[in-house]
Amino acid sequence: MKNRQIWLIALLIVAIAGPLFAQGVAEPTAATGPVDLELWYGAAITEAGPPPDDWVAYQIIRDKLNINLKITALPSNEADQDVKISAAAAADNLPDIFMVRRETWLRLINQGLVAETDDLYAKMPTRTKVQYDDDSIAFTTINGKSYGLASPGSIAKNEGVLIRKDWLDKLGLAVPKTTEEFMNVMKAFTFNDPDGNGKNDTYGYGAFIEINNYEEGLGRRMDPWFGAFGVAGTWNLTKANFGLNVRKSAYYDAMVFIKRMIDEGVIDPNWLSYKKDDFRAAWKQGRFGIMREQNAAYAATSNYAPFDKNFPNGEWVIVDPPKGPNGHASVGVYTKAFRIYAISDKADATKRDAIARLLEWMSSDEGYFLLGWGVEGTNYTLKDGIPVAEGVPDKDYAFTGPKGQPYTQLRNMVFYNGQVELVSRYPTYVTAVSKKTMSALDVLFDMQTRAWTANIGGDTLPPPSTDLKRFYEQGVAEFLTGRRVLNKANWEAWVAEFDKLGGKAWEDSARVVAETNGLLR
Amino acid sequence: MEIYETKTSLTVAKPSTVRLSASDKIFYGFIDVLLVLLFFIIAIPLWSTITLSFRPNDFIGTNLEGMFLMPWKWSTAAYKALMGNDGFLMAFGNSFKIMLAGVASALFLTIPLAYALSIRSLPGRAILTVIVLVPHMFDVGMIPSFLMVKDLGLIDHLAAVYLPTAVSTYNCLIMKGFFEGIPDELKESARIDGASEFYLLLRIIIPLSKPIIMSVGLFYAVSFWNDFFHAMLYLNSNNLMPLPILLRNILMASGMNEFVEVSAFGEAPIQAIKAASVFLAAIPMVIAYPFIQKYFAKGTLLGSIKG
Amino acid sequence: MDSQTTVLKPKRNLWRDIKRHRSIYLLLLIPMAYFIIFKYIPIWKGQIAFKNFMPRKGVLGSEWVGLANFQEFFHSFYFWELLRNTIMYSVGKLLISVPLSIILAVSLYECRIKVLRKTVQTLTYLPHFLSWVIMYGILLVLLAPGDGLLNDAIKAFGGKGIDFLTNVKAFPWVVLLSDAWKEMGWGAIIFIAALMGIDPTLFEAAMVEGSSALQRVRYITLPSIRPVIIMVVLLRLGTILSGGFNQLYMLYSPSVYSVGDIIDTWVFRGLQEGKFALATAVGLFKGVMGLILVIVSNRATKRISGSSLY
Repeated sequence: MKNRQIWLIALLIVAIAGPLFAQGVAEPTAATGPVDLELWYGAAITEAGPPPDDWVAYQIIRDKLNINLKITALPSNEADQDVKISAAAAADNLPDIFMVRRETWLRLINQGLVAETDDLYAKMPTRTKVQYDDDSIAFTTINGKSYGLASPGSIAKNEGVLIRKDWLDKLGLAVPKTTEEFMNVMKAFTFNDPDGNGKNDTYGYGAFIEINNYEEGLGRRMDPWFGAFGVAGTWNLTKANFGLNVRKSAYYDAMVFIKRMIDEGVIDPNWLSYKKDDFRAAWKQGRFGIMREQNAAYAATSNYAPFDKNFPNGEWVIVDPPKGPNGHASVGVYTKAFRIYAISDKADATKRDAIARLLEWMSSDEGYFLLGWGVEGTNYTLKDGIPVAEGVPDKDYAFTGPKGQPYTQLRNMVFYNGQVELVSRYPTYVTAVSKKTMSALDVLFDMQTRAWTANIGGDTLPPPSTDLKRFYEQGVAEFLTGRRVLNKANWEAWVAEFDKLGGKAWEDSARVVAETNGLLR
Repeated sequence: MEIYETKTSLTVAKPSTVRLSASDKIFYGFIDVLLVLLFFIIAIPLWSTITLSFRPNDFIGTNLEGMFLMPWKWSTAAYKALMGNDGFLMAFGNSFKIMLAGVASALFLTIPLAYALSIRSLPGRAILTVIVLVPHMFDVGMIPSFLMVKDLGLIDHLAAVYLPTAVSTYNCLIMKGFFEGIPDELKESARIDGASEFYLLLRIIIPLSKPIIMSVGLFYAVSFWNDFFHAMLYLNSNNLMPLPILLRNILMASGMNEFVEVSAFGEAPIQAIKAASVFLAAIPMVIAYPFIQKYFAKGTLLGSIKG
Repeated sequence: MDSQTTVLKPKRNLWRDIKRHRSIYLLLLIPMAYFIIFKYIPIWKGQIAFKNFMPRKGVLGSEWVGLANFQEFFHSFYFWELLRNTIMYSVGKLLISVPLSIILAVSLYECRIKVLRKTVQTLTYLPHFLSWVIMYGILLVLLAPGDGLLNDAIKAFGGKGIDFLTNVKAFPWVVLLSDAWKEMGWGAIIFIAALMGIDPTLFEAAMVEGSSALQRVRYITLPSIRPVIIMVVLLRLGTILSGGFNQLYMLYSPSVYSVGDIIDTWVFRGLQEGKFALATAVGLFKGVMGLILVIVSNRATKRISGSSLY
């Protein structure tokens, strides 16, 4: 009785299991029909879903361009992306066109899996004009040949040093300029109860470790301090003084200063444990008064709203980065960021033509607005030629709404940081509680006027070996946690060991690349 | 053959009518205290995560204050945002398919294997053990597996997610251990009655091993339900993506909120979204557990022989 | 499990034995086919560990490079440290999480308050479903040097806050104890299932003889789940060189690399650089070590306790 029931259930389950073997999307294999194209893209809003199957763009692409487009969103995090692409590459199973990080892409070229793209630029004149300038083509050129299409990525110099103006006013302090003045302000922020809540719960500076290959060591959130000593970023890309910043003596001075911040207790002690979201939650909770933050992460409507609600009288202002003893100052380094879309070398001439058709269409007015914002009247309305979310019949389906966002997942393939995009993405608005007028765009423009260190091409220099990378990151962190005692002798011994592990060789190989590609200025 | 089932509960096994000695009272008291202590050790951090998932966007205060946030100040924005996400239901369905098919194929493969391994007189048993044991230890990495899945034409099929991991040596050997624990006299008497090995497995071994089959089934179910890696590697179609992929995209989103004016999740703080997504994803497995516990009645196994 | 009963047995006729079990072999047909296709073909393709694997040339066409991939691992500046950390975590978890699971299982089995038993059993099962991303959030709430609850408590008693997550002395304990917290209830399931097999009459008999509760645990409960305990321990020894990738990948940071970097995290960072053959080579190395360890310890437990894996 009971046994029989169990067996019935088991049988049922097996019956369910059977059809699953056949699950999956059967790909139409039409001989003369539309060309099948497989695209792996980087989603614009990873946490929102992909565009639905009945997306109007699919239909247009099929009818107008004779392409059967199948798109797959890459995983949201870079490590996962690398693994997915590398695994597909190892099985020689790459899609026709895919977004890829530069390091991974370089390896695919060595393995002969990526096609040259020099001939494609001429086939898509409109797109080449708006998307692929000389820097972009140089970014994907290896040994004189272009192996991919690099679209503009995030906007350069879009971060800045921010300080709590209301705290300064409350304590009667002026905007600090030099590192020492900053130190005094940070001390006051930490110990003089700038928010007046009677609790000792504030700090001067807030940060977290955010490392890039061109922002090694402690990463970009600490770069203003290294910038004050003239050693922002991984590389110094000047003709006179090329090299790894960590091997320069000024780097030690910057380390001493940061160690002082820690010893004085003016930096949020959680900074080594924070991840990005924790850091962002922390400044919205009013934990610290100075930070380096990105323009939209600070000023865009939904990002600023919690801070606005929590601290209606709170106010951040953008200030110049701290000036060091020798007059250096820099928010950090900037590169021209690109997203590489590479083409599998298995794609035949028909497919390559189809790719050129598709990309050219994406940069046409029709493709640009459809992929960037969706359908006019449903997902956006035009106001003075700028797409805005206001005026759409269903707010959820606006390009900023939860149902509308899936339609804009491919927008990074069409955006090029033009005026229309910037105004549309960063509209001026009035905050809900304190009624401040905010604009992430004005913030951006202000941030771009501050002192920065040019590092164009810094992201194309060779990365360190796994062991060396770890030695570098671990070493600087340990000098700050006190596991290694920070003094001149220890530091020099550490740098010597770094060189022995391949640090010097790394610098030398980068020098060759930098010189051949004319990156030194 | 009639299998006599006893759902003997504790009170029957150890008659509470017998008066406890002082030392026994201390012993049982100690166990109660231990479990209560454990309750708090597990519950407090869990509670802080639950309140986190209900945290409103404008919450301000310490973590401790967050934990004692009054329910009327809770915000369900995070859950609403997730449930409203079109991809969520589809991903849920895909995960369910993977889990059902996975558990079915896993048990279909594991039970016979474990049974064969448990028969001591089976010629070739040692070789069989080695065959099962070796893959447990040799993880040759993802490329050889990827090539195998590709050669089978399983790329972008749900089967690629559950078939490569359909047999776990760990579960197989655990199950084999339980099969061995079934008294020989029971098997022998059936064999003398002329029952085939197949019949024996179907009508005696399996019904007697419900607790272990349920636990192993649960182990499999959870591993398929949580599997992110294989889905990431092998699936490309949007309409096949299971829940862990969606979850990971939420949990690991690196550029969250940076370039958008309004986040995909509107009014909920991102930590709340992350916590809520984990709870939502865990619901089916949490619901299933009490049902499985039902089979964990004491003395299920041996009751049959005495009967 | 109990091999002594099989020692004394009449000379058997191999052919007759095989024939007698023919239905078993039939049953094994599909599982064996599965093993060949899904487990052994990949293992065979694991030969890329000895090759400079190039996708276009395939597994067979890529050229042999001998032990170069293994050497890259052995010659890593951090090899010994990685090995030490990995073993520290897998042995540590074996010594902390497994005993805790057993204690939990036995306590639940012995507990006479039904509500308490059910509640704790379900509750301890829940943390298994929290991914390590969420766990990190929990740990930060508890342990952050600035405002973690534990540090608040320490400071309230006049102590000095500890940077648990970035301090090389505290970090290993955070790893081990957070794993125990998360997996204790999950790990107990298997022991609970085993406890269900105990013959209740044994207890009745023991009680009649006037035994104490503790004695019953000592002489009835624990011995009857000993085979399962041994099996769990042996199987975990087989994967001793995997220390819990997901956990450490989420918890570690540069300041605790020296105690947080394990073989698998090191390999993963290499994988991002496309070192697949290296990953496979390390996988083979881990497999050989695990196999040796299982064989040796299986011998030992067989001799000492009569229980064994096979």
